[in-house]
Amino acid sequence: MESGQGRIKPSKRRTIVRSVLALGLALACVSAVKREDFKTCSQSGFCARNRAYADIAKETPQWASPFQLNPSSLRLHKGVLTGDLINVQEDKQPSDKPALAFELHLLDTDAARVRINERNPIHPRYDGVQDTVLIKPYGHATEESYQKLGKDENGVLTIQYGAQNQNTVRISSAPFKIEFLVNGVPTVLLNDEGLLRFERLRKKEEPKVEEEGEKQGEEANSDPLVEQNAGGNEIEIAIEKSDLEKKLEENLWEEKFKEFTDSKPRGPESFGMDITFSGINHVYGIPEHASSLSLKATRGPDAPYTDPYRLYNLDVFEYEGDNPMALYGSVPFMLGHSKNSTAAVFWMNAAETWIDVEKSPEDKTGGILSWIKSKKTAQSAATKTHWISEAGVLDLFVFLGPTHRDIFRQYASLVGTTALPQAFSIAYHQCRWNYNNQQDVAEVDAGFDEHDIPYDVLWLDIEHTNGKRYFTWDEAKFPNPTEMQESLSTKGRKMVTIIDPHIKKDGDYHVSKEGAELDVYIKNKDGSSDFDGWCWPGSSQWIDFYNPKARDWWASQFSYDKYIGSTKSLFTWNDMNEPSVFSGPEITIPKDVIHYGNVEHRNVHNLYGTMFHSATAQGLTHRNETNQRPFVLSRAFFAGTQRFGAIWTGDNVASWEHLELASPMLLTIGLSGIPFSGADVGGFFGSPDAELLTRWYQAGIYYPFFRAHAHLDSKRREPWLFGEPYTTQIREAIRTRYTLLPFWYTLFQEASVEGTPIIRPMFTVFPEDEAVFGMDDQYMVGDAILVKPVVKSAVVQSNVYFAGKEKWFDIKDYSVEQGPGFKDIDSPADKIPVYQRAGTIVPKRERPRRSSKAMENDPFTLVVALDSKGEASGRLYLDDGESFNYEKGDYILTEFKVSNGVLSSRKVESATASGESSFTEKAGGLRIERLVILGATAPLKKVTVGDRTVQVNCSLVGGSYVCTVKEPQVTIGKDFDLSFA
Amino acid sequence: MKTHSVCFPILATLALSAAVTIANVSNNNAPRGVSPSNAKLYVPDNVNNWSCLDGSKTIPFSAVNDDYCDCIDGSDEPGTSACGTGQFYCANIGHTPSNIKTSRVNDGVCDEECCDGSDEYDGQTQCPNVCEEVGATAREENDRIQSVQNEGARLRRGFIKHGKANKVLLTNELETLRSQVDHVQLALNDARDAANEAQEAYLEGSKSEREATRKQQLEPLIQEQTKRLKYASEVRDMLKLTLQSLKENHNKNFHDMAVKGTVSGFDDYIVAQGEKTETVEDDLATLSSDRQFDALMDETSVVLRDIGTLHDLLDGMKRDYNTEYNDEAVLAAVKVTDDFEITWDSSRLDFADVEHLVLPEELPVDSPEAEKFRDAMDSAQEVFNDASGKESKVQEGIRDIERKLNMDFGPDETFAQLVDNCFDFKDTEYTYSVCLFGDANQNSHSSTHLGKFSGWEGDNYDVQMYTGGAKCWNGPERSVKLVMSCGTTTEIVSVTEPEKCEYLFKLQTPAVCPIPEGEVDEQEHQQEQQQVEEGEEHTRKHDEL
Repeated sequence: MESGQGRIKPSKRRTIVRSVLALGLALACVSAVKREDFKTCSQSGFCARNRAYADIAKETPQWASPFQLNPSSLRLHKGVLTGDLINVQEDKQPSDKPALAFELHLLDTDAARVRINERNPIHPRYDGVQDTVLIKPYGHATEESYQKLGKDENGVLTIQYGAQNQNTVRISSAPFKIEFLVNGVPTVLLNDEGLLRFERLRKKEEPKVEEEGEKQGEEANSDPLVEQNAGGNEIEIAIEKSDLEKKLEENLWEEKFKEFTDSKPRGPESFGMDITFSGINHVYGIPEHASSLSLKATRGPDAPYTDPYRLYNLDVFEYEGDNPMALYGSVPFMLGHSKNSTAAVFWMNAAETWIDVEKSPEDKTGGILSWIKSKKTAQSAATKTHWISEAGVLDLFVFLGPTHRDIFRQYASLVGTTALPQAFSIAYHQCRWNYNNQQDVAEVDAGFDEHDIPYDVLWLDIEHTNGKRYFTWDEAKFPNPTEMQESLSTKGRKMVTIIDPHIKKDGDYHVSKEGAELDVYIKNKDGSSDFDGWCWPGSSQWIDFYNPKARDWWASQFSYDKYIGSTKSLFTWNDMNEPSVFSGPEITIPKDVIHYGNVEHRNVHNLYGTMFHSATAQGLTHRNETNQRPFVLSRAFFAGTQRFGAIWTGDNVASWEHLELASPMLLTIGLSGIPFSGADVGGFFGSPDAELLTRWYQAGIYYPFFRAHAHLDSKRREPWLFGEPYTTQIREAIRTRYTLLPFWYTLFQEASVEGTPIIRPMFTVFPEDEAVFGMDDQYMVGDAILVKPVVKSAVVQSNVYFAGKEKWFDIKDYSVEQGPGFKDIDSPADKIPVYQRAGTIVPKRERPRRSSKAMENDPFTLVVALDSKGEASGRLYLDDGESFNYEKGDYILTEFKVSNGVLSSRKVESATASGESSFTEKAGGLRIERLVILGATAPLKKVTVGDRTVQVNCSLVGGSYVCTVKEPQVTIGKDFDLSFA
Repeated sequence: MKTHSVCFPILATLALSAAVTIANVSNNNAPRGVSPSNAKLYVPDNVNNWSCLDGSKTIPFSAVNDDYCDCIDGSDEPGTSACGTGQFYCANIGHTPSNIKTSRVNDGVCDEECCDGSDEYDGQTQCPNVCEEVGATAREENDRIQSVQNEGARLRRGFIKHGKANKVLLTNELETLRSQVDHVQLALNDARDAANEAQEAYLEGSKSEREATRKQQLEPLIQEQTKRLKYASEVRDMLKLTLQSLKENHNKNFHDMAVKGTVSGFDDYIVAQGEKTETVEDDLATLSSDRQFDALMDETSVVLRDIGTLHDLLDGMKRDYNTEYNDEAVLAAVKVTDDFEITWDSSRLDFADVEHLVLPEELPVDSPEAEKFRDAMDSAQEVFNDASGKESKVQEGIRDIERKLNMDFGPDETFAQLVDNCFDFKDTEYTYSVCLFGDANQNSHSSTHLGKFSGWEGDNYDVQMYTGGAKCWNGPERSVKLVMSCGTTTEIVSVTEPEKCEYLFKLQTPAVCPIPEGEVDEQEHQQEQQQVEEGEEHTRKHDEL
């Protein structure tokens, strides 16, 4: 406003005020997440220090890591190489610090493990993550399986290992560096950039900042590169370096964020190291972030993100898309993939961790962008990552494949595979915060039957309790919970109630009281008084699941006589287990609180939710004598969570953006070992319109965990509430999920044995097709079904990529597309593109039923999609869906194969078959009522089983024959051969 | 079919054997799942073929109910779940026959609708035949419903009679009143003119004496009102300060919706304040005493309204905030609210025990001349008052009747009986009330407006909407959906809140009881005959109300 204009009339002034307000409102809508509640790297002392170290390395010409292995200390014995790791810089100063202990383990699975720890620290660094994350002590490679090739002239030690001797590890002593090679090609490099840094535990003393700065200044001056620069620059660079050096000494002890102070009594103990994926442009994993499948650069010119990816389990309200901010769960597992190689690492640490990603330019023409590195010779493609953890020991596993399947198996052999779930839990779940009372529950249940929409589980959120006291009921609203569950159970349906880890502080509440008596709460930093914070019930305490007594006590709460009103058909939802603490820093618990065994929370933060999840699963498993598998959904997760149940992507938003985000998020979580995951269908916050909700159901039926959920403030959205045509479209979608349940269950069984993801990124199925490496808007269910969700409004056509050279068949009308290449496919309101790949056989159950339980005795349909050679294969796994009898071999696993015009069915005999076979006997007689054979080049004329002819009808659909074989009179329990011509 | 069992002698269980059974079990010539009335649709042609009911395909008759879906319309499998899209007939002997979805055949659930258990015949689930008991209970229940409906229908006929008669009556009354409008209007105009003239004459005749007297008379009142305004302004500022401090200091991590609502309401208030143009009176002293007083009163009422708004914000929080968080900023604000509320009367929007100052009548001026004029003025005023009373009674009568005539009481005027009738429902926390065609409220220690009647939903005249109620914190304006069912009395049977701030009232009333078809016309006929006398009776009733 110019003062010369004089007074502004009131009316004008009002307009200005309004427009400012409107702007404020718009901003509020765009940025729902409260970013200022959460730390950036620069607000997290150890992250800033390690990043500054990386800056120094980057800006120092001919930077060399100060770490060296003492060659005379190296010993290789029974698959384990040990030695002393020295920081020569530290040794320049008078120091009596012992060297770091270095270990390299070669595992019997062809994986390798690298450990770096302090020898004789002033107090032990936390090394307990392995006790809870690793499923069992692993075996080491036998002495015959590896070969020490000796040292070369540069002191590089080379060991060859692996089942086919395909792997090589080269250990350089000075500077310290490890290279993993597959068939002679460098693949994973450790400390190649020299960013290894290890903050030794120490006693608090006055910092000598000036001296450090001076020293660094001298070094900079003596640098030949700097001398080449003009005089003015010289000073500038010198000052900058000294600033970076200062940064290395910042926030070592007490640290503040907003109104919170982290006391950090042990001082700095962080460490970091770079891991380079050589020859690899795409890296994946390190969930959970609302970001793309292929990770984006956080460092270097043109990096889309300025902060590193952060792993720190947090309750983030209305999180934003395309962002490396931490969310509810953490899995420090990263997989790199190129046309020629695939490798992965697992950074086994549960403290706060940040990961920088930097990509070498694929194309060298953009050289101006990398002038800083100009002195380095042009390198081939590589992804450089920098891992930074706040506490604990450096403990890294390296998996070299050579295939994805090998990596998934190798990783799963350490942290476990997904538990085989209750069959109902992979069907449809109906949830809302909240179904208000028994009447409401009965009406919603009846609504599904009335509208002929199948569902399996009805969920109750926090309002069902008496004042957020878990394991209790609001008796006015739910006077008879047992009857309510039994009423659902007669239709094969289950119920889930929420149980959170915060316990209302209330002497009259039995759980609170028992917890206090048993002394099982997390302690304040003084180590003796109970920590007290705020959550849904108000003043609360958090159970310390690191205390074995607490875990057993917690598990015992689920027995029927303790959890009054629970029945066999009641299962559990663990929420707020990051843990969410409304009154805490970053909405979580302070890092300096104390767990059992005097363990500071900062060491185990990212595992807390999993410990809770695990104790709950234990409770459900042992609550009865009925031999039932547990089902527990958790929001927080870590490596190993898959052993305890499902997870979901937390509090998303009813927006197209969040529908789109769900695919990359779930793919990332899945490839990181946790296949049983889903996103809230419809979006948790806000109210979706009918189109968004319908599109979300069409996508959601292809999430491994399929649940609709809604916030208290949102409009009701049960599937029939929007009327036609939406009810029919949603019914059709949910029914499609139900017809494919045999296929899904078979995939879960495969995951439970092999550690494979269930929904799979395109690149894992087509590893040589570079066009799919960054693709996350379409994906595969198993290796057979391609899904491309519609994630924009008013879309009637989708651009689908058909990979490979084979055909693809629309799963609804069997129309055919030929790969490879992109094609525009109709995706009208009632369907999204979903295709079955030629060469696969998909088992289905096509009869509409009201729950998965009601399908138990239904016959099967096999959809056989022949490839260009006339071949196809697939499998079917079936068990009772609820007990552990499958462990005793009481299951049916059948492999189907077509070649030379014969479909053969062969039962895979169980290795563990013993005793129990009641299910096998009962279900073995289930018949295959129908075969649909796709891709035949001519109509089938004759189908026979033995000497019996079976009816077949063929029709031409879009240039290809669809042949339906009626009642071949074969069963899943008995081998057969069916010939067709 | 026999060949199958030869081929698969080991498969004695499950579906194959079921299929064998099916072929043999076709009682009363109708295949399983087909009702006797549809049996004629399931007859083979002369070559033992059969056509799907949609005519799309011809299949061997043996493929009917062979537990494999051949027809697109699912008509070949009325007795199995193979298609899952058709209807399965349960004879339910002892009760009423019913059709269930074929998707529920052999699904392990004993469907209630199929009390004879015939839906589960595959041997996996044993469903006992409970039709005798179910039938007996159902008959009892039917009888009960029937008697409710009979009684309800009888009562509803009364409603209709009343409604129709009332409509005629109101129409007549309206006509009468309208015919009087011109007359009373004219009389009123004449009286007004006469009164004005008389007043003018009086004022002219006594101007200066009156003004002096008036100033003296109003002086203490103006002083008093100035004091009140000052006090009120101070209180308002104190409340604003309290809210400002709440806004800045409350703990945002608790996500207490009540606190959030109050803070955002306060923000709205501040914005609204900013948009108001300040109406600063130029100089009170130059105005006449009357206008001075009026201006003070106006300004005070603005401040009092502000106080009311601010108090509502604080009170909303006080009622709903989570007492377990012990947020100091919130507790401080609650304390202020408590202290303030002792002094405040929110229904009058003024401080308790304060009587509004009223502009007094002018004091009579003592002079015989003036007296004469005043007497003339008084009597003219009396005439005017009388004429005005008559006129507004006529207008009011017209408005009231028009309002009722414009209301949609349903095609047969059933709901005229219930207009403005009010009903309460108590649950554990609140008492809910609705005055039909009026307002709905939620009451505990204070009242929350849930909505005003805004119309019928659908065409059945059994669902009413009440909208535009008080806005929810962080939510929509409250509203009520009132769903009616047949009963012999009119009362609310349940109140729920299926989603936040959207209430569902269930009301039973004779007004929606079905009247057997054909009876309506007869009723109308009777009614016309009785119309006049009934009408008179209702007029009396109406007047009593």
